Amino acid sequence: MRLFRSRQAWLGLLLIACALLPALIKSPYALHLFILVFLTVMLGESWNIIGGFGGQYSVGHAAYFGIGAYTSMILLRDHQIPPWFGVWAGMAIAVAVALVIGAICFRLRGPYFVLASIAVAEIMRNGALNWKGLTNGAEGILAEVPPFVLGPLHIDFVGKVPYFYLGLILAVMSIVANALVRVSKLGYYLQAVREDQDAAHSLGIPIALTKNTGLAISAALTALGGGFYALYTGFIDPAGVLGIDVSIQLVLVCIIGGIGTVAGPILGAVVLVVLSEALRSNLLASALFAVGVPQGSAIGQFLKTNLAQAHVLVYGILVVVTVLFMPDGFLGFFRAIVSRRKRAEANS
Amino acid sequence: MTALLQVKNVSRYFGGLKANEDVSFEVPQGSILGLIGPNGAGKTTIFNCITGFLGLSRGEIFFDGNSIGGVQPDRICKLGMVRTFQKVKPLARLSVLDNVVVGALCRTRSPAQARALAREQLELVHMGHRADALAGGLPIGERKKLEVARALATQPKMVLLDEVMGGLNPAESEDLIELILAVKKRGLTQIVIEHDMKAIMRISDRVVVLNAGRKLAEGTPQEVVANPAVVEAYLGAALAED
Amino acid sequence: MLVLIQALVSGLLIGGIYALIGIGLTLIFGVMRVINFAQGELVMLGMYLAWFFFTRFGLDPFVSVVLCMPLLFLFGALLQRTLIDRVLDALPQNQILLTIGLGLVISNTVMLLFTSDYRILSTTYSSSSFHLATVSLSTPLAVSFLVTAGLTALLYWFLLKTETGAAIRATSQDRDAAQLMGIDVRSTSRIAFGIGSALAGAAGALIAPTYYIYPQVGGVFTLKAFVVVVLGGMGSVVGATLGGLIIGTAESLAGAYLSSGVKDLVVYGLFLLVLLFKPAGLLGKSRV
Repeated sequence: MRLFRSRQAWLGLLLIACALLPALIKSPYALHLFILVFLTVMLGESWNIIGGFGGQYSVGHAAYFGIGAYTSMILLRDHQIPPWFGVWAGMAIAVAVALVIGAICFRLRGPYFVLASIAVAEIMRNGALNWKGLTNGAEGILAEVPPFVLGPLHIDFVGKVPYFYLGLILAVMSIVANALVRVSKLGYYLQAVREDQDAAHSLGIPIALTKNTGLAISAALTALGGGFYALYTGFIDPAGVLGIDVSIQLVLVCIIGGIGTVAGPILGAVVLVVLSEALRSNLLASALFAVGVPQGSAIGQFLKTNLAQAHVLVYGILVVVTVLFMPDGFLGFFRAIVSRRKRAEANS
Repeated sequence: MTALLQVKNVSRYFGGLKANEDVSFEVPQGSILGLIGPNGAGKTTIFNCITGFLGLSRGEIFFDGNSIGGVQPDRICKLGMVRTFQKVKPLARLSVLDNVVVGALCRTRSPAQARALAREQLELVHMGHRADALAGGLPIGERKKLEVARALATQPKMVLLDEVMGGLNPAESEDLIELILAVKKRGLTQIVIEHDMKAIMRISDRVVVLNAGRKLAEGTPQEVVANPAVVEAYLGAALAED
Repeated sequence: MLVLIQALVSGLLIGGIYALIGIGLTLIFGVMRVINFAQGELVMLGMYLAWFFFTRFGLDPFVSVVLCMPLLFLFGALLQRTLIDRVLDALPQNQILLTIGLGLVISNTVMLLFTSDYRILSTTYSSSSFHLATVSLSTPLAVSFLVTAGLTALLYWFLLKTETGAAIRATSQDRDAAQLMGIDVRSTSRIAFGIGSALAGAAGALIAPTYYIYPQVGGVFTLKAFVVVVLGGMGSVVGATLGGLIIGTAESLAGAYLSSGVKDLVVYGLFLLVLLFKPAGLLGKSRV
């Protein structure tokens, strides 16, 4: 039983199970869901570094996601540079943008960073829409992915399986990055800044530098995720990679799961992907009908036609409910129950 | 030999308000300076000026030979000066140990080293057994001790304590007095803002009295307590005539 | 030269609307220190209400302002009571998330009920204009500017001359002190949120004849309102008034001299510049 108490043991088991999945599951749709989860986990873990540890809520992280996606796509389309090289340029640009935002906002007290992050994402989205020569505007960019060739290694990006493993690797990378930051000096400093900026300052912590470093790492990883997304879908457009709903999703993943934890975004990613797919594919509607909601009725018809569009509404409700009743996310909720039970046992 | 801290003609204005006006004093190395005065005298303001949380309107401050007026607080901590806060500021969602680790990271090379140093500091304030408790859940006495331990973990040359004994019961105050004296034995220099006169008498080598932003008196604890102007400032003119 | 004057005038006209929305936002922030990310959605609700009254009852939007305002006041007070009150002591980040989520719920509920189809409120004067000297003014915008000016004057009178207004100003300055002096800060907060919502609703009704009406239209207004408020100084009603006019003018000039596509970009860029050089804003109260 002691083996299963260790969080590392659980995650390790999960990793092995995931690695073996494609051998057992052949359905492209199921694999697609896993890839979405891996991507969402990666983005959530990245946001967590600045949002969870640092307490600086960026509601415009789509900016970095979009920079990663667009840079790799444009370099592929115009210069035939494969995305696994192009994305590095995207990451560099994302870090540069992050440092600019940081330079403007991190010396200020107050909600300015949140506002500025939203503004920058909107600037990016607007730019992508209007700079048609570069980005093809609202029509987006479509590009075919070349095979990955390295010496004897030749991987064709055909079917879901290559993306599955790539996604898994990236997700694991981001989880490890998160865990490493958490126990590093940067992690301690970020959390100190989050808890009490004045106290942190008095203890020798350079406030702006700490926040900037956290944001830069977060931006780079998010851009990497954007590159992966572009690689996987083969098509990107301003609304899909730079919209506010993308930014909201990233925040939601972390607050549902549990902000400032390493496992939180994993939980949040699973919940969100399952929920949004269930809505999109009318699974939820079917489930409600199975439970007894009459299909023929007005409500039934209404649900059938509209529930698929409702996933953003559900996001909104989730945000409100989480903030009001579960500010520490599911993980925090469970932890509170566990510690309450422990205290009860200790007192009895 | 020059004093470790030299405050020279420091003034701090907020618009028309003169929070500090022409304050000067020195703190020799290894000594304890008691800083007293009625509420609103400008004690915390001068602390804020010394530790970089406020800029100086006028004057200069020298610490260990460096001019530190207007320097950022983190830089001042690196130079070897640390402070605690009147309204205590625990890093609430971190554990007691992690709080002190944050302080220790100022000078250690790795988090592992910092943890070792942190445990030591916690033992010195008799809080080693509370290492895993959440700082936000501590009672006020332990919060104050934690804040001191955290500050000491930065391995400072000088510590500024702002009403560390405020809100403590006599036993807890006694703990803290012993801590301050132990810190002095380690060779650190301290400035202590306190309202508890008995404590000030016991621990201070010298005392500076502030009133309405100005320095009212300076001297040994005995001298200051006997000074009629000081008595008047604290207790009112009628009593001073006794 | 004519282009310049034309752009300036048009900018001022739309700037009045931005000011109205911004004043609502800054009032809410001033009293509660809450940043209402759903402000644009409240404007959107005003637009839909005006459209509804127009298509159902033939009510001219400038008249239905009188209906929209109290309705949205009540809605805002309700939101405050059920949701915002609960997070007044929470982390500012969580407050922001709450209002963001609220905005999403409002806009997507409207989308479910009315679909994303663009609605148009077309009155007889919707596209008419008149001439003042050599400058052409859009009739609906000119009328809405006058109404806005009137509403703003009314608000100033309310804040300066009534007891509730004084309570609002006191709570803005120092919540704790106000409470200690016997002001019911909860009720004052509710009223402030109500007024902020009413102003947003008024703005929505006023621009309904000139804008496409669709569920997502709120988002842009929220963002611009923030630029207005930060430019003017968070918590300052006079600042928001000025800020609105400035932003409207800047946007209009950008549209005239650059291109209509980059109008929004200019506004957001201005925002970042303000943060860089004068984060407290023109008349800022908050300490940065």
